[in-house]
Amino acid sequence: MSRTEEDAGKQTTANGLSPLRVVHLTKRYHQRSGSDLEAVSDVSFEVAAGECFGLLGPNGSGKTTTIKCISGFYPPSEGAVFVGGYNVHARPKLARQFLGLCDQEETLDSDFNVLDQLIRHASYFRIPSSVARERAQVLLEQFGLVEKAREPIESLSGGLKRRLQVARALISDPLVLVLDEPTTGLDPDVRRMVWEVLMQARSRGVAVLLSTHYMEEAQRLCDRAAILHKGRILDIASPARLVEKYIAREIVEEEVRPGVIWRREPNLEDVYLKLTGSRLGVDGL
Amino acid sequence: MKLPDSIWGVWSVWRRYFSVFVKSIGYYLVTTFVEPLLYLFAFGVGVGSLIGTLQDGGVHLSYRRFIFSGIIAQTLLFQGFYEGSYGAFVRMYYQRIFQSIAITPITLSDVLWGELIWDASKATLAAEVVALIGVISGEFPLMSLLTLLPLCFSASLLFSAMGLAAAAYSRSIDELSYPQYLLVFPMFLFCGVFYPVEDLPRALQTVAWIFPLTSVNSLVRTLTIGLPFQSWAVAILLVWLLVLVVLARRAMTRRLVK
Repeated sequence: MSRTEEDAGKQTTANGLSPLRVVHLTKRYHQRSGSDLEAVSDVSFEVAAGECFGLLGPNGSGKTTTIKCISGFYPPSEGAVFVGGYNVHARPKLARQFLGLCDQEETLDSDFNVLDQLIRHASYFRIPSSVARERAQVLLEQFGLVEKAREPIESLSGGLKRRLQVARALISDPLVLVLDEPTTGLDPDVRRMVWEVLMQARSRGVAVLLSTHYMEEAQRLCDRAAILHKGRILDIASPARLVEKYIAREIVEEEVRPGVIWRREPNLEDVYLKLTGSRLGVDGL
Repeated sequence: MKLPDSIWGVWSVWRRYFSVFVKSIGYYLVTTFVEPLLYLFAFGVGVGSLIGTLQDGGVHLSYRRFIFSGIIAQTLLFQGFYEGSYGAFVRMYYQRIFQSIAITPITLSDVLWGELIWDASKATLAAEVVALIGVISGEFPLMSLLTLLPLCFSASLLFSAMGLAAAAYSRSIDELSYPQYLLVFPMFLFCGVFYPVEDLPRALQTVAWIFPLTSVNSLVRTLTIGLPFQSWAVAILLVWLLVLVVLARRAMTRRLVK
C-alpha cells in the first residue's frame, strides 16, 4: 500500500509516535452460521497531532467496525490500536484517557439534561466538576447550545442531539478525536458549525479521525484520507493527490439531467466512485 | 469471575445511578415502596386476621410476623430482578448507557459491576425499609436491621444478576416476560413467602429448595423472627449468587461486544 508523506502539519507526540496508530487491524465477526465474517482486513494508518484524517467508504465498508476497535469496545482479531502510545485493548483505562469519541448512533444519557450530560461524561475521565463546568460552557457556546443547557435530551431535535454528542466527545480535551459520520442528517449550517469546531480542534494539535461518506466534507477537512472498501484500504493520500492519481482529466463532464451536461473540476467523489463504485459493478453486487 | 478493573470506575458508574435516583426520588419512593407496603397490608391485616398463628420449623408464630419477614424476601426478589432486567434493558438497549460509558477510561466490565452493585443497593434499601416498618411495628428486633444487611445485599445481587442475565438474553423488552412468569412469579408463590415450604408435599419441597428464594426466606426469618438456622440455605444462596453473577456478566458482554 502506497503512503504519501507530502502533507503539511504532520507533528508527532513527544515519543515520536503519532497519537493514533492503527496497526494491521483485522476484525472478524463470528456469525450464527458458524462461519466468520471479516469486516476489517489488515488496516493500518496513523493520524498525527494536528492532522485530520478521513475514513471514507460506503456503508458496510468497515468504517464503524474500525472505529469500534479504535475505541477499544471491540477487541481486534489481529493487530492493534494505539492511542496516546497505549494499546487500547490491553490498557483501555490509560489509552482512553486520551480519546474523545462520537459514535454514529445516539448514545446520549437521557437521564441528564444538556449541561449535566457534559459534566457527567467528564466525571468518567476524572475531570473535576469545576473544570468540566468551565469547559462545558465553552462547548455549549461553540455549538450554539447555551439556551438549551437545562433542557432534557428528549426535547432536542436530531441535529441538536448530534451537536451535543460531538461536544461531549470534546469535554475531556482529547488528544485523539474520533467521529463516526458526525454530520449525517445535519442541516448545511449545522454541518458548517461542526466543521468549524473540528478545525479548531485540529489547529490545537488534536489528531482528528473522521469517518464520512460525504466527499465534499472529506475534501474540505481532511489532510489525508483512506478509501475503505470491503474492509480493506484501497489507498491513503491527500484528497488532492487522490484526485490527481485516479482522475487523469482536468475537467469532468457529467450528465446531470438528460441533455444537461455539467463541466467541472474532478473531485474526491469521482475518485470514490471510481475506486468503490466500479468494483461494485465488477463484483456484481 | 473477573474482578473490577478499577474500584473508581465502578464507583463512578454507581454514582451516576445514584444521582438519577436522587433526582427522581419521589417517583422511586412510590414505585419502590408502595408495592411491598400493599402486600404487607393485604396479607398482614387481611389474611393475617383469618389465619392467626402458624407453625414453621417447630416454632409457633403469628401470621403477621411470618408474612412481614416473607415480604422482605419478596422485595429483594422483585426489586432486584426488575432493576436488573427491565431497568438494565432500557439502559443497555434504548439509552445505550453501557455503550457510552464503556468508551471512556471506564471499562465495560466495570460498567456491569456498577450496574449490578447499584441494582443490589436499591433492592437492599427497599428491603431494609420493609424491615424498618417491621421494627417499628414491633415484629422484629432493632438489631435485625444491621444483621440483615449482608444477607439483603447478597440476595439482591443474586436477583439483580438473574435480571441482568435475562436482559442479556432477551431480544426485545417483551421477552422479559418469560423469566418474569416462568421464574419470578413461581418463586414468589412457592418459595415460602406466604406459607412455610414444609407445608408443601415432599417432592415440591425439594423443588422449592432448589430455587434461591426459599433459602433467602429461610435466612431472613432466622435473622428477623428467630426461626432455626439452616446452613444449606447459605450454601444454596452462595452457589446461585456466583453462577448468576458470572452468567449475567458473560452474557451481557457477549451481547454488546462483537
